Amino acid sequence: MTSHEILTSPDAVSTLVVLQLAAPAATLGLIGLPALAGRPLAERPTTRLVGGGFAIAFLAAVGVLGLLAARGFAPVIVHSGTWFAVGHHEATVNLVADGLSMPYVCFSTGLCWLVNSFAGKYLHREPGFTRFFILLALFGTGMNLMVLADSIDVLFAGWEFVGISSALLIGFFFERRNAIDAALRAYTTYRICDVGLLAAAVVVHRAVGAGDFERLFGAEWPHSTSLVPAGTATVVALLLVFAALGKTAQVPFSNWLPRAMEGPTPSSAIFYGALSIHAGAYVLLRCEALLDAAPLARAALVVIGVGSALHASLVGRVQTDLKSMLAYASMAQASLILVEIGVGWRVIPLVHVVGHAVLRSLQILRSPSALHDRHELEAALGGHADFGGWSPVAWLPARAQAAIYRIALERGFEEMAVMQVVGPIVRLLERLAAAERAWVAWLGGKRHGRDGGRA
Amino acid sequence: MSGAGIIAAEALPGFLLGLVGVIVAAPLVAAAVVGLGGFARSPRTPAGIGLAVSLVSTALLAWAVSGADGVPYEFGERLGGGSLVHLDGITAALMPTVALIELAILLVAPRRFLDRAATGRLLHGAAATFALFATAHPLVLVVLWIVTALPTWISTRGTPGGRPAARVFAIVMLAALACMAVGTLCMLADPPWERGCGLVGNSGGWLVAIAVLMRKGIVPFHSWYPALFSGAPLSTALAATMPQVAAYTAVRLLMGHADHGAGVGAELVVLSQLALVTAAYGAALALVQRDLRGLIGTLAMSQSALVLAGLAGHVPMEINGAFCVWISSGLALTGIGLVAWALESRAGPLVLTTPQGRFTDAPAMAAFFLLFGLAAIGLPGTLSFVADDLIVSGSLDEQLHAGLLVIVSTVLSGIAVVRGWFFVFGGPVAIDGPRHLMLRRERVALTALFVPLVVLGLWPAPLVRSLERAAAQLLGVPVPGAPLPAPEARGVSREDAPPYKPRAEARGLRVEAEPVSRAAWSARSSATRCPVAPAPGLLAQDAPRRKPEA
Repeated sequence: MTSHEILTSPDAVSTLVVLQLAAPAATLGLIGLPALAGRPLAERPTTRLVGGGFAIAFLAAVGVLGLLAARGFAPVIVHSGTWFAVGHHEATVNLVADGLSMPYVCFSTGLCWLVNSFAGKYLHREPGFTRFFILLALFGTGMNLMVLADSIDVLFAGWEFVGISSALLIGFFFERRNAIDAALRAYTTYRICDVGLLAAAVVVHRAVGAGDFERLFGAEWPHSTSLVPAGTATVVALLLVFAALGKTAQVPFSNWLPRAMEGPTPSSAIFYGALSIHAGAYVLLRCEALLDAAPLARAALVVIGVGSALHASLVGRVQTDLKSMLAYASMAQASLILVEIGVGWRVIPLVHVVGHAVLRSLQILRSPSALHDRHELEAALGGHADFGGWSPVAWLPARAQAAIYRIALERGFEEMAVMQVVGPIVRLLERLAAAERAWVAWLGGKRHGRDGGRA
Repeated sequence: MSGAGIIAAEALPGFLLGLVGVIVAAPLVAAAVVGLGGFARSPRTPAGIGLAVSLVSTALLAWAVSGADGVPYEFGERLGGGSLVHLDGITAALMPTVALIELAILLVAPRRFLDRAATGRLLHGAAATFALFATAHPLVLVVLWIVTALPTWISTRGTPGGRPAARVFAIVMLAALACMAVGTLCMLADPPWERGCGLVGNSGGWLVAIAVLMRKGIVPFHSWYPALFSGAPLSTALAATMPQVAAYTAVRLLMGHADHGAGVGAELVVLSQLALVTAAYGAALALVQRDLRGLIGTLAMSQSALVLAGLAGHVPMEINGAFCVWISSGLALTGIGLVAWALESRAGPLVLTTPQGRFTDAPAMAAFFLLFGLAAIGLPGTLSFVADDLIVSGSLDEQLHAGLLVIVSTVLSGIAVVRGWFFVFGGPVAIDGPRHLMLRRERVALTALFVPLVVLGLWPAPLVRSLERAAAQLLGVPVPGAPLPAPEARGVSREDAPPYKPRAEARGLRVEAEPVSRAAWSARSSATRCPVAPAPGLLAQDAPRRKPEA
């Protein structure tokens, strides 16, 4: 066998694919276990280990991309065996290297590598330094797991890792109440929308006996075709759209995104400017065949995407801090990407994701020094620099402008609408809990005890 | 290599019986040493040795039983379908879990709590729990219900401010024990699994079901669960609730008979529906708790109900998921409870109304709390992820509303745990004392609880396979190595025994196995243990697959 044949053999590709997953996972263990034992590594070894893991994953992804190109982008599926099986329910660990996953892994691991280098300096002597890098490694592992997944079980596992690392990084500065509230809001939204993915996984298992994508859709991305009946495809696609709404911050699940900027700047850049916010778009792109077979889901995607894009661009214009403005800008672009997926495009959304992620990460990473830059610029110009943009709202009558301005300031009254639903539920639960305490106090013979009676 | 392969077949029953003796006797011997005044300054040492011996023995037992052909080992007197010592896949999976929980509680207990009396109660309770998990004899189960409840009541009553909780516990437990005793006697007098069962037998089934509802803290008998966590030492609350004695009783007394008689099936349906409501209700209440103990209590109530909901379901996958939840929630919630106890004993009561800011002075505890919390709510890579996957899929297979309630419970539990973590460890840094470093014994105990969660989460196939056999036994589905229901074990004479009918089929499930002939059954029934030929179509690898159409 020649060296070219060895390199292009499926075994070599499989090894490199597994390496993309194993490298960040290994770094997670290498820095996480000493920290758990109470002996965290110093800053430099920490950044080098995490950076090394991402570098290995990035190089492996580039290698596989080259090998795939040599093979005409024929997908390679890595069957790592059955995780567990009960009756007709089988969870397999399958990974895929194809024209969608490999470019995505290249760009996500490359971005993680860069942000790792940036954060090493940015968070120097920060009390939560090791914690940040543990969560970054967890996020990288989850992201690669999600992107490389060739079964819905593996995809769900990666999705969960991304969600929990995102929430914990939003609450990174947990000594601030705002950070805690923002983290809880984000995690609650994720958790509610995860129901969509969980239910989709169950429906897929029931429909085809396993979670493998091979049984759901055939042929190569981006020309894959659904292998399940239209009804099943519609149900699964609608559930996936619901799952995507949370992470992509679409209306009515968008109000966590501006608050998520409570986290450290490097994590904001990589999560809400680049990778996490596009996770939903990636899942929809992966399951594009189901969307093709489900016009209802595509229509829902377009309607929600257009509405969210309008909402984000309107609200983003009146934000008074840079990171909130960037958050709404991210949301607007993510909404447009969903619209593109909804209308049936495949390669354009992928290019849009990569382009937007790179640009927005740069903007968010630069945001802490933007004010300083502006002052320098104005000093050089010798006066106030006018960066005001053009807006079609300026053409509207004054009353309409005022109304729109009010709507934008109130963030589209989204928060109020959500609280109309959530508030009564929380109040009911609090009353039930108080009644429980009163009942237990009575039963325990404690008429006016510490927790008895009125709560 | 399995235990059955190393130990000669003739010697294996004796070996297993010896192990059961060691498992139960070791804590009792340790309790005697402590009670006689040995190791007066450190009762933890003999108690730890005793429970460690039990843990190793339970591991050996699990290895030997799960390596065999899956047929239960039964010893001693049989009554009402259950023998004095009954060892099967359920015992193999649950006994080590219970032993590990008891040992971890002992290791983490603060020194000022662990006097001779408290150590003795802990050891007696552990021995009684081990004994309960090794038997299927109805009357012995009744006696052990009383024995396992007593240390909890005494310990709670002796705690400052614990009398109201002890009173609530006593009221519910007395009612439960009365229902259990009367119900069991009625079931023995007029077995509901026999043809022509009368009012007495049916009433017995319902009384046992009500006793299970009470002991498991199912709505409307759930109030003692959070009350115990609030008023009792956390060790007492954990030791009383985590092994899930009532679920085991339901398995042995109700589920094992569900295929035969008219009475018991309806009770299971009621149990299942109420447990589903409790799972969702407990998780919802956990969201609005004002202190950490309340959070742990309501979460434990929810997870415990989830186990019963799964066990009472009709789908093997759901039952398998219930066993996984049993193990994963037991280990994870014990971990959360022990971290909370360790932190509380250093920093005082922990409320959730405002962030407590404990991260800076207790970073290791924050890490363990988070890990156990995530392991309790389905973090991928831990056993709870597998458990959630199985129980959600199984319950959706059964009924849509069951699946939805399980999903609601899972979602709300996750939010409650993360809220609890942020409110205990987040917030302005607390400056009320020194850093709360973890002791080595605490670290060892928590690591020992966490490692199985991860190992079984990453490599769940052996456990799931073993539990698949246990689930098949409960449903009466003949998978390889699973036992046939022996006629005499059901209290039916061999001549009058009904033809074998898989329980799953009786419940309307499709069974792709050939019914075993009466002659073959009679031939086997002379022996207690009766191997069964593999049933094609019931194993995972034989399950029919839909081929994708081109």
